Amino acid sequence: MSKYLLPGVLVVVPVVVALLGPLFASVDTTKDVAFLLGGGHLFGTDFLGRDVANEVLLGGRSLVITAVTATACTYLLAVPMGLIAGMTRSRLLDEVLMRPLDVLLALPSMLMLLLLAALAPGNMWVLVAVVALINLPDVVRISRAAALSLSTRPAVEAMRLQGEHRARIAVSYVARAMRRILAADLGTRLTGAVYLAASASFLGVGVAPGASDWAAMVDRNRTGLFLQPWAVVVPAVLIVVLSVGVNLLFDRWLRNRDVNFLEAR
Amino acid sequence: MIGYVARRLLLGVLQVLLVAVGVFALTEALPGDAAVTRAGDNPDPAIIASLREQLGLDQPVWERFAGWLAAAVQGDLGTSLVGPRSVAEVIGSAIGPSLLLAGLALALLVPLSTGVGMLAAHWEGGRVDRAITSTTLGLYAAPEFAMAILLVTVFAVQLGWFPPTAIGSSLIANPALLVLPVLVLLLRPICSLSRLIRAGTIEAQRSPYVQHVRRLGLSPARIRFLHVLPNAAAPAVQQLARTADWLLGGVIVVEAIFVVPGLGTALLDAVSARDLPVVQGLALVFACTTVLVNLGADIAARALSPTSEVGR
Repeated sequence: MSKYLLPGVLVVVPVVVALLGPLFASVDTTKDVAFLLGGGHLFGTDFLGRDVANEVLLGGRSLVITAVTATACTYLLAVPMGLIAGMTRSRLLDEVLMRPLDVLLALPSMLMLLLLAALAPGNMWVLVAVVALINLPDVVRISRAAALSLSTRPAVEAMRLQGEHRARIAVSYVARAMRRILAADLGTRLTGAVYLAASASFLGVGVAPGASDWAAMVDRNRTGLFLQPWAVVVPAVLIVVLSVGVNLLFDRWLRNRDVNFLEAR
Repeated sequence: MIGYVARRLLLGVLQVLLVAVGVFALTEALPGDAAVTRAGDNPDPAIIASLREQLGLDQPVWERFAGWLAAAVQGDLGTSLVGPRSVAEVIGSAIGPSLLLAGLALALLVPLSTGVGMLAAHWEGGRVDRAITSTTLGLYAAPEFAMAILLVTVFAVQLGWFPPTAIGSSLIANPALLVLPVLVLLLRPICSLSRLIRAGTIEAQRSPYVQHVRRLGLSPARIRFLHVLPNAAAPAVQQLARTADWLLGGVIVVEAIFVVPGLGTALLDAVSARDLPVVQGLALVFACTTVLVNLGADIAARALSPTSEVGR
């Protein structure tokens, strides 16, 4: 269990601050002098004179929710697409589903983020959609490859001979057997979503001007770095800790699972 | 090989073309246009209408796209809607700093990640290896902007070793300016590349052909660099191509933090000013670069390891 201690702590601390923080944040939003160090504030004040500690409590929820929602959307779209492309007998349908993704892959992701999010500045859902879209090609490819190899298994052939409908085989057998492969990929996707969502918010995409958001805090309090580093350092450290923690945790879990899997054989 | 390159080149042209269509459609969908931006505060509808006519914004979308594409093929990307300069001039003046940053990062990336990867593989399972693998795994996930701002806080603000931004001085005249930006650009790619090199080296060292050259009595250095490394590098070279995309994203973020007047800054400015010709021109440049780098890396990977299957 000690294997999970460090990555577990790295994930739990920022996630708890992000999700439960708003409950403990003070409603009192009286403003002080901007970029104050100390002065009755744990981490001083930010560029608008708001209490940094309070902003930190408020600012994590959007990042965590954006990343998790975007990853969920990616899988909701990608798995059916990959399943259909991998199991269809029509070459045309396969091509129609897969070729557009090649173009999506050739598009630099940061460019896409900037352009699409300029459509609706300050709208979190646009950010969710773009992050989901950027992750889409990889997950569709993985699902398609998995479905392709699974659909040649004897079990699938047997079901086909019994006259089972293809949609039923796809959902009840192939999709269920794909879970393992998809779970192995989940960590990479979640890490990627946190990375993209945070970087985009930093570049001013998908956050309203006065919003409380860790990445936006890093951006807007940069001007006061020499006066009051806490307003930048605390949210930046939380973002780094969250990303590193998610990646390490999934890696440990995967390796552990592989060991169990090998021993079981 | 020639057939393969030709096929990939054709696919690349198609990709760039589709990106051009996509970007054009997207910029069309942006709310507001340059005429509104130019008209300033308290805009008069008559002025906006005359500006639209002057800028050609009143013509149908497909006509503007056809005209733009025909001109772009001939190297004319149009003029900026916001300033007096042509798009080519905007790109030309911004490309220098970005190329310098990306080039320096790439030049350092290959030897550094190879070194780190081989070091870890040499002591496989040992303390050095474990330290390297968990550090690279962790740092790989950290967003550039957060790492950049933490490095700036420690090394520029607290210790004062490096300047925090590039405002007001040229990058070449003052190399100390480049240290932190290049370091930030290198962080993520080094992590993923060195992991691949490590895995490839370990696999190659165990393979029968390496055991055979060992029995022939070749020196360990010769085995390591002439026999193990080329095979270990093939998957890493392909990963290197995907670095082109991150490098671009990294460059945008790094330029924003260190206030470097490069392509990323130009793109951020153009998007916020709704300067569509500049956005389209930059998108075309980025798409061409990504496609070309991918092509180059696939060809290099094929040359390094002819038996492995590369792409389609």
